[in-house]
Amino acid sequence: MPGHRTTGFCASAAALALCVMLAGCSGSGETAGGGKVVLRYTWWGNPDRAARTEQAVALFEKQHPNVDVTTSFSGYDAYKQKLATQAAGGDAPDVMQLDYRQIDQYASGGVLLDLAQQKSVLRTSEIDQGLLATGRVDDIQYAIPQGRGTETVVHDVTTWKKSGVPLPGESWTWSQWADAMRALAKKTGRPGATDPGQSEDAFEVWLRGRGKSLYTEDGGLGFTAGDLTRWWTFTDKLRREGAVSPAEQTTQLDGSVENTPLGRGKATADTNWDAPSSGYLALVPSGVALAPMPSGEDGTPGQYFKPSMFLGVSANTGHPKEAAQLVDFMINDREAAKILGAGRGIPVNETIRDEIGPELKDFDKTIADFQASLDGKLKDPPQAPPSGDNALQTTFQRDYDQVSYARMSPREAAENYVTEAKAELRS
Amino acid sequence: MTTTAIPPEAKHAPATAPKRRPKREREGAAWVFLSPWVLGATVLTLLPMAVSLYLSFTDYDLFNPPQWVGLRNYTQMFTEDPRYWRSVLTTLTYVVIAVPLQLALALVVALALKGMKRGKGFYRSAFYAPSLLGASMSIALVWRAVFNDGGTVDNLLGTGGWVNKPGFSLLAVALLTVWQFGAPMVIFLAGLQQIPAELYEAAAVDGAGKWRQFLSVTVPMLSPVLFFNLVLQTIQAFQVFTPAFAVSGGKGGPADSTLVYTMYLYDRGFVASHMGYASAMAWVLLVVIGVVTAVLFRTSRSWVFYASEGDR
Repeated sequence: MPGHRTTGFCASAAALALCVMLAGCSGSGETAGGGKVVLRYTWWGNPDRAARTEQAVALFEKQHPNVDVTTSFSGYDAYKQKLATQAAGGDAPDVMQLDYRQIDQYASGGVLLDLAQQKSVLRTSEIDQGLLATGRVDDIQYAIPQGRGTETVVHDVTTWKKSGVPLPGESWTWSQWADAMRALAKKTGRPGATDPGQSEDAFEVWLRGRGKSLYTEDGGLGFTAGDLTRWWTFTDKLRREGAVSPAEQTTQLDGSVENTPLGRGKATADTNWDAPSSGYLALVPSGVALAPMPSGEDGTPGQYFKPSMFLGVSANTGHPKEAAQLVDFMINDREAAKILGAGRGIPVNETIRDEIGPELKDFDKTIADFQASLDGKLKDPPQAPPSGDNALQTTFQRDYDQVSYARMSPREAAENYVTEAKAELRS
Repeated sequence: MTTTAIPPEAKHAPATAPKRRPKREREGAAWVFLSPWVLGATVLTLLPMAVSLYLSFTDYDLFNPPQWVGLRNYTQMFTEDPRYWRSVLTTLTYVVIAVPLQLALALVVALALKGMKRGKGFYRSAFYAPSLLGASMSIALVWRAVFNDGGTVDNLLGTGGWVNKPGFSLLAVALLTVWQFGAPMVIFLAGLQQIPAELYEAAAVDGAGKWRQFLSVTVPMLSPVLFFNLVLQTIQAFQVFTPAFAVSGGKGGPADSTLVYTMYLYDRGFVASHMGYASAMAWVLLVVIGVVTAVLFRTSRSWVFYASEGDR
């Protein structure tokens, strides 16, 4: 009977459509076949961090047989964009690594869970209160800092020694740094370092060395077009002299160590954060060393200790308890800390830091020693950057492209940037 | 439209004439079979389009609820945003470079393959393969590696990396599209095979050489196919994204030289979190593509020759 057939089709078609919709809609909170809780954990980083993280996660799964953690990672730029899209769609991963620059936006957008709700499984008593506060917005603990990091001049120490140029000492100024880069370029026949003009982070260090800051306390711009012109004139001159990387190399930077001139064997030094600098070891087999960032001409230090990254839990997670357990494990577990080392910065749990500190090996020890050499010498970190800053990092690099390709003068580009930044911070 | 818009429930309505009943039932069945498509089109196409149109009149940062701003996104785009106009110019340049090059290459290869006696299938597949692979990110990344400094082209020609030179990067992006000429080629090939051999024989008898035959027989007879390819490839070129994204590492660089329209749209939406602005850009693109297509159709009257109206 045709009628019967139609009803049958109707039912199966409806069922099919429903299945498709359900499959599409089920976000976090899913459980695996065996009744296991499935957590999604995402982060950015390099292959070195990936290996350590996988190992730590395996240990967590062993301790919590009812939980299955699926991880994914990518480079910083790609991660930032993907996470923003996921978060906007209400599909943020259960546990996510966050940057200082993301906390404000994500917290105010309702993406993050109030971690105080999970106090019973997530301990924060052994974290320095000042550091812990960096994960707070409006007095709510949205994220836990995972490590302490600082910027560094990371360099191919063998090549540097061979060139006969004196190695960087305990401290140096920007003009001493520039002279060293010129000397290196002369002796090695290739740029001394990555052109720091493209890096908002390097600019911040330079700016702080002159007693200024990127942002004012009320979230406005803390510097003028004149300041930025001076910085870009300085780096532009070095690039023209061949002391730092040419535009063709600088434009390839995407936040991964693999695409830096140092990582590609085309320069002797780079400016980077200390934790990801471990990634250079695989690319510069003769070894890299860490030197402090240059200070202002009067010796004012520009670099600072920054919470290197945070862990946050999605407000939409179906398993807040298990997610908090994973965060607790990554931050407070002794065994996990041993595996993770200093790959995400020096541990924030003070007991663990004291215990693990002397046991740190290889590059982790290098990072720990480097940070210890700066302890007590640096100024306080700035407050968390305002929301609009997220887009401005890219704008900074793009506007400097115009300078390094000689399409704009440093002044034109600086004025461009300040206009764009003001518009971005207002909206 | 009115007959197809009858909802499935209509079959339960009392039939006016008993004779029409079976037809109505068949219509109901058709709706059941169509339902996945209708559902898909509504949920995945019409609804998002409506939302995007709404968002284009708002300020939306992905995190906080959209704020109605009226036409501000549109006025900002046209009057206050130099990068917007830069991206428009870049896209137009790209269309003007890529489309003619791609169609010319597709036609040349199709002509060569048409006369071929052996191995036609192999070459046809070989030339078509890039079009199958081309949309994928991996090929675009290979392209970036090839044209990068220290890459294959650099080593062979000593050009330096094209993707890192603002003057050449857009060309590198266009070449990736041109290389994927397989789809228009296959359509040209089909068109060429439709041209009756007698026309060539008659032309030869009249003393026309190969070149004359091409101009007087092939081009007019092929013009509908040429027109079809032109419209299709132009529409696609306006929406170019993947090659520009991959070749520039997602930034539209160096120095904004590969910042095509969709790249800037992506940058506004996903990097700078201005979804409202990005939506407005998308709607402007839709309108522009509509206008360009309409213009192409208008001009086609003077050069496209349809055999059926040949005696007009």
